[in-house]
Amino acid sequence: MGKFKFYIALWSAKFVAFVINRIDKTRGTNKSGQIACKMCDSFISYFKNIDYNKVIMVTGTNGKSTTVNMIAHTLQQAGKDIATNIEGANLITGVATTLIKNSTLTGKFKKEILLLETDERSLAAIHKLIPGKHLCITNLQKDQVQRNGDPDYIYQKIKPVITKEMNIYVNNEEPRVKSFEDFAGKTIYYGMEKNEKSFEKTDFYDVTCPCPKCNDKITFEYYNVDNIGKFSCNHCGYKSEEEITYKATNIDYENNTFVCQETTYPMPYHQPFFIYNFVLCIALCKQFGIEEKDLQEAFASFKNIGGRLETIHYKTKEIKYIRMKQENPETLQSAIDYIARDKTPKIFMLGLEQLVDFPPYYTNTFYAFDCNFQELIDSNVERYICFSEAISYDTANRLVYSGIDKDKISILPTDSDEEILKELDKYDLDNVYLITWIKKYEELNKAVKK
Amino acid sequence: MEELNITWAYPDILNLHGDRGNIMALERIAKQMEITPNIKRINQYEEKIDFENTDILFFNPGELKVMPSIIQALKEQKEALEQYIEKGKTIIVIGTTGCIMAKETKRINGEIIQGLGYLDMTCEEREKVYGDDIHFKLKEGEQEIIGCQIQMIDTKIKEDIALGTIIYGMGNQGDGTEGAKYKNVIFTNALGPVLVKNPWYTEALIRQAMEVKGYEKRNTLDFSLEEKSLAYIKKFIEEKEKVPCTQK
Repeated sequence: MGKFKFYIALWSAKFVAFVINRIDKTRGTNKSGQIACKMCDSFISYFKNIDYNKVIMVTGTNGKSTTVNMIAHTLQQAGKDIATNIEGANLITGVATTLIKNSTLTGKFKKEILLLETDERSLAAIHKLIPGKHLCITNLQKDQVQRNGDPDYIYQKIKPVITKEMNIYVNNEEPRVKSFEDFAGKTIYYGMEKNEKSFEKTDFYDVTCPCPKCNDKITFEYYNVDNIGKFSCNHCGYKSEEEITYKATNIDYENNTFVCQETTYPMPYHQPFFIYNFVLCIALCKQFGIEEKDLQEAFASFKNIGGRLETIHYKTKEIKYIRMKQENPETLQSAIDYIARDKTPKIFMLGLEQLVDFPPYYTNTFYAFDCNFQELIDSNVERYICFSEAISYDTANRLVYSGIDKDKISILPTDSDEEILKELDKYDLDNVYLITWIKKYEELNKAVKK
Repeated sequence: MEELNITWAYPDILNLHGDRGNIMALERIAKQMEITPNIKRINQYEEKIDFENTDILFFNPGELKVMPSIIQALKEQKEALEQYIEKGKTIIVIGTTGCIMAKETKRINGEIIQGLGYLDMTCEEREKVYGDDIHFKLKEGEQEIIGCQIQMIDTKIKEDIALGTIIYGMGNQGDGTEGAKYKNVIFTNALGPVLVKNPWYTEALIRQAMEVKGYEKRNTLDFSLEEKSLAYIKKFIEEKEKVPCTQK
């Protein structure tokens, strides 16, 4: 009965995908998967010819999409035949859509490798049906607290998935994900050495995190990106490994290269979090027999889709938009740090915006208190503009708590693009930075184009 | 100048929801009140809390898995802790960390965390996280508190110990009560950080802690920015789509 339902669901989904594709190629990315999963329980488990030794899942808070893009690009450049959900959703319906697209009418998977970006909360359900042997876990950070609560809530969802039959790939310098080593068959660590962009935190208010093994305090000797760096626990001795196979060394930000296992690789993107992605990609691809030469060529030609930086040209102004994810302090901090590197006079616009992901909508701004603004303050900001109908005053208050004079802050309790641009018109400076969530950026961009 | 001694308990371990901002708020408001704040971090379990020289002992929210270790660390100073509470000195616990002061907390995996029991309440871990705004009125006085709440545990209290009455939001378990208070041991679910968003409450807490030391001076503080924030968020709450907040 299950098989019969599967075929009906598969054929229906393929037909729907065909029709949608004829009408508009840009629409309905996951529609076929949604329909199939509705028609047949455990739909994705019925596909034949999937070699679980060649199923790669990538999960974690930040960096999933970039990592999957990079691995997909590298494997394809090296001539591997892969299927991936890059363009679709990272939930079970997105996986279903990928399998529908890459299978025959009898449900036979047509590719050699299945590479899946997997939402942290959906991982267990997907892995139960497709028990892939390779799991990359990029990091576990504070993120989307309305869904995810806290990092340990997600940790407990991932932990049961890991078995002694699996290879896991974890960041050696991220305490939480590294601790999954206790449950896996083989743990492949990746990391990077201390470099000129590494930093220390010495402010009285800086906090780290609890040790995932004994719950005491984790200490970081230095950070390569926020919350990731060489760490140790004074209580139980848990720490990042000194010697690991896949480590980026000799990081050269001037020539955009790094070395791993005595091979020099180009890095077209040179923010430290990208270097972690590159090294993870090397670690994973080496398990699939990819040669250094292929990796080098793939990295040189790699283009990240859906990047975090866009520019809006508004009158004489150049508004540089840096994408952040709401309720994700790490992406907000990265955006702040990026702006702080520009020491020329600037206007800084911050629209944290009320959370309208799913009801109940709410007014969370507290993740901004996980971030530090001092370097931004020291980087020559002449005007701060905080906007959002409900939380502009809260946002401004975060800046006030960082020591910014109230008189330097424009507070706009509105989501009107017109009002926001009108405020911008008051200042002669053309160098403008904007941090907000993607939807607000798109609205503003549209308003400017009008 | 008078001094306010704040002990910030386990900042790295109880590190959730940007609530280090609560300590920043205590520092900021104390200075505005012309009081010198001295903040001491207790970083690891083996460090002892100097109860004698503490006026406010602060516990921010943390992951449930760390709570048994915190309870154990506090049990090792139980006598001093009890004296501190009985003297009417202030302890503030936020969010999930409330369970250290509860009688017990039942986890999803069946584990029972035995709390210190200073607050007559029990907690139960939720299957699903619930996040929303929270707006309540303090039972003592007329002050309104606004914040957010990320509900990982539901809390059942003896009604007469509630810290406040819900105007909007879930509070302890969707029963109209919010937080708990025994003497000056205060538990609230409100995040924000709550003391940043509600400086009138921060001022009241500092005043309460200082009154134990005989401090009575009063000056007028400017909370106009926070008052405007409160007004806009109240409007947002009034206009938003309401959903039942009891689903587990």
